[in-house]
Amino acid sequence: MNLIRSELMKIRSTNTWWLFGIGVLFFTGLALLVNLFTGDQQIGEAVRVASEPFQPPGEGAPPFEVDLARRQWELAHDMGRVLRATAANIYTSGQFFGVMFVMLLGALLFTNEFYHQTATATFLTTPQRVKVILGKFATAGIVAGFFWILTTAINLAAGAIFFNAEGYASQLGEWPVIRSILLNGLAFALWGILGVGLGVLIRSQIGAVVTGAVAYVIGSQVVTGVFQLIYFLWIQKDWVIKAAVVWPSVASQVMVSPEQTLIPISQWWVGALVLVGYGLVFGLIGTLITRRRDIS
Amino acid sequence: MSDGGRIVVSGLTKQYRKVRAVDNLSFTVQSGRVTGFLGPNGAGKTTTLRMILNLVTPTAGKATIGGAPYSQLADPLRHVGAILEASSAHKGRTGRNHLRVICAAAGLPLKRADEALELVGLTPAAKRKFRGYSLGMKQRLGIAAALLGDPKVLILDEPANGLDPEGIRWMRDLLKALAQQGRTILVSSHLLSEMELLADDVIIIAGGRLVKQGTMETVINGLATTERVRVRTPQPQELLKALGTDVTAETGADGALMVTGASAPQVGAAALRASVELHELVAEKPDLEHVFLELTAGKAEIR
Repeated sequence: MNLIRSELMKIRSTNTWWLFGIGVLFFTGLALLVNLFTGDQQIGEAVRVASEPFQPPGEGAPPFEVDLARRQWELAHDMGRVLRATAANIYTSGQFFGVMFVMLLGALLFTNEFYHQTATATFLTTPQRVKVILGKFATAGIVAGFFWILTTAINLAAGAIFFNAEGYASQLGEWPVIRSILLNGLAFALWGILGVGLGVLIRSQIGAVVTGAVAYVIGSQVVTGVFQLIYFLWIQKDWVIKAAVVWPSVASQVMVSPEQTLIPISQWWVGALVLVGYGLVFGLIGTLITRRRDIS
Repeated sequence: MSDGGRIVVSGLTKQYRKVRAVDNLSFTVQSGRVTGFLGPNGAGKTTTLRMILNLVTPTAGKATIGGAPYSQLADPLRHVGAILEASSAHKGRTGRNHLRVICAAAGLPLKRADEALELVGLTPAAKRKFRGYSLGMKQRLGIAAALLGDPKVLILDEPANGLDPEGIRWMRDLLKALAQQGRTILVSSHLLSEMELLADDVIIIAGGRLVKQGTMETVINGLATTERVRVRTPQPQELLKALGTDVTAETGADGALMVTGASAPQVGAAALRASVELHELVAEKPDLEHVFLELTAGKAEIR
């Protein structure tokens, strides 16, 4: 399609693509190192504690602390789980910052048109506004897919070497692991669309980038923290902590986590649904606004 | 396709929150002619052009190009080229790539980018980034973009804004050449003397409303301003005596006599009869600027 070709040319003909590429590669490398190290620790720990029985915390401990301790023990003793979680973690390394870059790139796809005053040329060439915005969504998805393939290739290579060195299989035969890798691709694509939608809502270049980055990085910490606070101070039910999944950056992490962790998280498909929902809502809002707005 | 380039605006209205920028505006731009679109600042020229091009949604009314609204043209760039204010390119993209991006979106062959650059004389700067372009080069790039699809209709909003004299002449020559090829050209401008040289037809708006439309001659001559004759002579008293009592005259700042009530031939004949020496004899025709200021007087208040 002409529009997607044109949009890809827009990205290729400026510095944007390689600056973002370097950003994605740098953070993927960093995350990979951390994940390999953590994976090594967890596998070692699981091997070490394999024969230890469960020891409940002292008398009079509140029930939810006993629960927590039991869960911790159970999780640490399930070798298959540890391996799958580690594998999924390694094979989706760099997701957190990768999808942030994709989101920002998606936002730039739209804000650039106004920052550099190219919107006029774009909409003169294609007066059908909906086609323009759909082209941008598709382009954001394609670029996201490219970054996903790039990071996944690096992660798979590093992961294969890691599991070989640890003396375990690559875990690529495990469906939950494969599922995480594929869903990671979906997360990249959806964040690209979210980014374009963000760009439509906040037309200012700086505004969109700052809002997007802050909401992404700090937002997920704050939201997770708030739900944990509610859990410890008020309602001690797992669903409270799991509810953090309503925040999109939490949702995308949830959807690539095949196994439960120490802190209870929602099922992967809940995360996927939440993120798809955000993608649809932002896509729809973006399309409607673009259709109506005056270009001047 | 004889009226393929005809622009018809009917009842076009744009209401911003408190300001009615364009108010029930109707006019027709004939194909194959250059039409000057004139009006004081804030008259609604830019808004009107943007409504014609589907960039701004009208509150009421509609505009068609060759019988169809812009949004329904199958290949808009092959029909209409536009150069608008507040239109630019990505600072970090080369001029050539800017045009190639548009070609790709419009389904035009990418080599049109190089042809258009050649046409506007930008080939040497084709691979330079836009941030390094001078104002004149930016305007040329805008024209190149407008010409990519070899359109029958050109719509230009203040194309000479910010151009130096050499750039303005270049623009005039180019637009004239394009008009001679039979294209429809609708151009808004403040440069009235420039317009007088260029345009066949004139549309004058003020306060969002149509003030006058017609050919350049009818608009200029339509105002029944009395002809004035400028005379320079060392013997003004003798000349006035010879002209008689129907004539009024005043002395201009430069010492020339401005005579009202007699034509240039009459003044010449009177001078001959009275043996008065003449150094200058000019019939002052009303010009577009004169007509424009008269027509828009009092209608250009800040809204």
